[in-house]
Amino acid sequence: MSSRSATVGPFNRTWGAYAFLAPALLILFLSLLLPAIATIGMSFTDISFLRPTNWVGLDNYFRLMADGRFQQAIGNTIYYTLGVTFPTMALGLLAAVALNRKFPFRIVFRTIFYLPVLTSLIAAAVVWVYLYEPYSGPVNGLFVSLGLGPQPWLSSPNLAMTALIIMAVWRDFGTAMIIYLAGLQDIPEEIYEAARLDGASKFSILWRITVPMLASVTFYLMIILIVQSFQVFGAIYVMTGGGPLGSTETIVFQMYQTAFGYTEFGYSAAMSTVLFFVILLFSLVGTKIMRRGEA
Amino acid sequence: MSVVASQSTPARTDERSFSLSRFIPLGERIVGYGLLLFAAFATMAPFLWMVSTSLKADAEVFQFPPSFVPQGLEWQNYLDVIYLPDSGRQLVNSLVFALGSTISNLVFCSLAGYALARMQFRGKTIVFALVVGLLMVPAQSQIVPVFLIVQKIPFAGGNDWLGNSGTGLLNTYWGMILPTAATPFGIFLMRQFFTRIPIEYEESARLDGAKSFTIFWRILLPLARPAMAVLGVLSFQSAWNEFIWPLILTNSRDMATLQIGLQLLQSGPDARWNVVMAMATLITMPIIIVFLFAQRFVIDGAVTSGVKG
Repeated sequence: MSSRSATVGPFNRTWGAYAFLAPALLILFLSLLLPAIATIGMSFTDISFLRPTNWVGLDNYFRLMADGRFQQAIGNTIYYTLGVTFPTMALGLLAAVALNRKFPFRIVFRTIFYLPVLTSLIAAAVVWVYLYEPYSGPVNGLFVSLGLGPQPWLSSPNLAMTALIIMAVWRDFGTAMIIYLAGLQDIPEEIYEAARLDGASKFSILWRITVPMLASVTFYLMIILIVQSFQVFGAIYVMTGGGPLGSTETIVFQMYQTAFGYTEFGYSAAMSTVLFFVILLFSLVGTKIMRRGEA
Repeated sequence: MSVVASQSTPARTDERSFSLSRFIPLGERIVGYGLLLFAAFATMAPFLWMVSTSLKADAEVFQFPPSFVPQGLEWQNYLDVIYLPDSGRQLVNSLVFALGSTISNLVFCSLAGYALARMQFRGKTIVFALVVGLLMVPAQSQIVPVFLIVQKIPFAGGNDWLGNSGTGLLNTYWGMILPTAATPFGIFLMRQFFTRIPIEYEESARLDGAKSFTIFWRILLPLARPAMAVLGVLSFQSAWNEFIWPLILTNSRDMATLQIGLQLLQSGPDARWNVVMAMATLITMPIIIVFLFAQRFVIDGAVTSGVKG
């Protein structure tokens, strides 16, 4: 960074630079910036492409506030997000601490824990639908052989969300592990040496040194997982379709249905705007933390 | 990127591990290995069931409790997937989509990353702030406007210059690739990499009178191979696994990707679990194989060049 020459170039050099930037900026404009602006604009209309569009002011937002289904979707999304985020981080941390020393087959274990991350969401979801299958699925097979009764998993309003959460934790903890492994490398070895000389137990070393030293990584990871979980769609689409009885309907799933099922694009845009600002808030906080960690 | 980051300081890990292993008694090591093996087995179990079921005969699939080891090897399930009427078409679509997205990311992100790292121009700070800001926009919550924008691209798919009266880029490869063709993350990654290359490489070429594009193409791009490998692998993986854009931006059977095909097969009226699992296995394996090979390559590249993300 410091090696850059300080003078701002002449006019034609500016044009040259924009020629390099133009294609990428055009794509970002079309795929991110314009949509973000358009979503907010559309949320004040009743646009549906079936009849003339009217400006409806804040009507969509008033409707959202009174919409019991949307409130259920928010509740479901928060439940899902909390259920995924914290177990994922805990398992990721455990795996990272276990793998942060050299022993035979370390790389094999790391690769195995990372495999679910590489699997496509749809393949993973389809496989888990089979695992949860009530009459011939392996999960119920395991339950029966352990002397527990078979469960209806994805077709029970009480269990479906939990089943989705378990699958998501399985898929995501490898990401947490990799990020924690990177964080662990940055903790100076001297601190551990000192603690060991003082006779600290392994558990207190983990709890009093490793965990606090990873605080900024943990917070950053938490934000990533929250932002990602808030946008859950594919797994729901494949595994439950929002059912049973709306128990797994999340915000993005409802957005998709409202827009492409009921062609209420304006109302869907209002949902999207609410989601957008919630996620943006989390991202901004996360970025702040990440910056502080780098400094 | 974190995959890379975790690997970039192997020497230090080694030193630490040596000092640690002296402190760990044998019994504890055995328990530790036991726990790790159990965790590894639990993580692998869904994959193992997927492969096991994909090799079972129709009747065996419905046995309860299901057996982990299939009685025979029913390779016919894999042939059934390959001979599905749409699977060839879906493979082509997935490959075109994933390769198109990868190539456009490599080209556009490296050009933009170079400009942001090495060129001096008016508005640079603003453009860079914009790219970083867009990193935070949640792409999946923009499904509605992206659908509309792809539909309204002027002069495409029967559209007039205002983007009306036609279908735009819906149901085309261009439309599917567009939302993934360049990402703020890719630009950021390339910019970080170019910033680290010593300026001397460029200055000597500039003294010889080389133009910006020549310097980029002849000098910096060859040096950026490790970063391009990382970006390429990640772009390919995310496009190959993508579901929401192909789902929304196409609605004809002819344009379905393998991911959509798998979803259709599983939710179809005559779905057979063994055939569904065979297709899931076929879709998953290429990415895992690419990763197993690329892991080493990506990591080596990262270690020698010091990329950290």
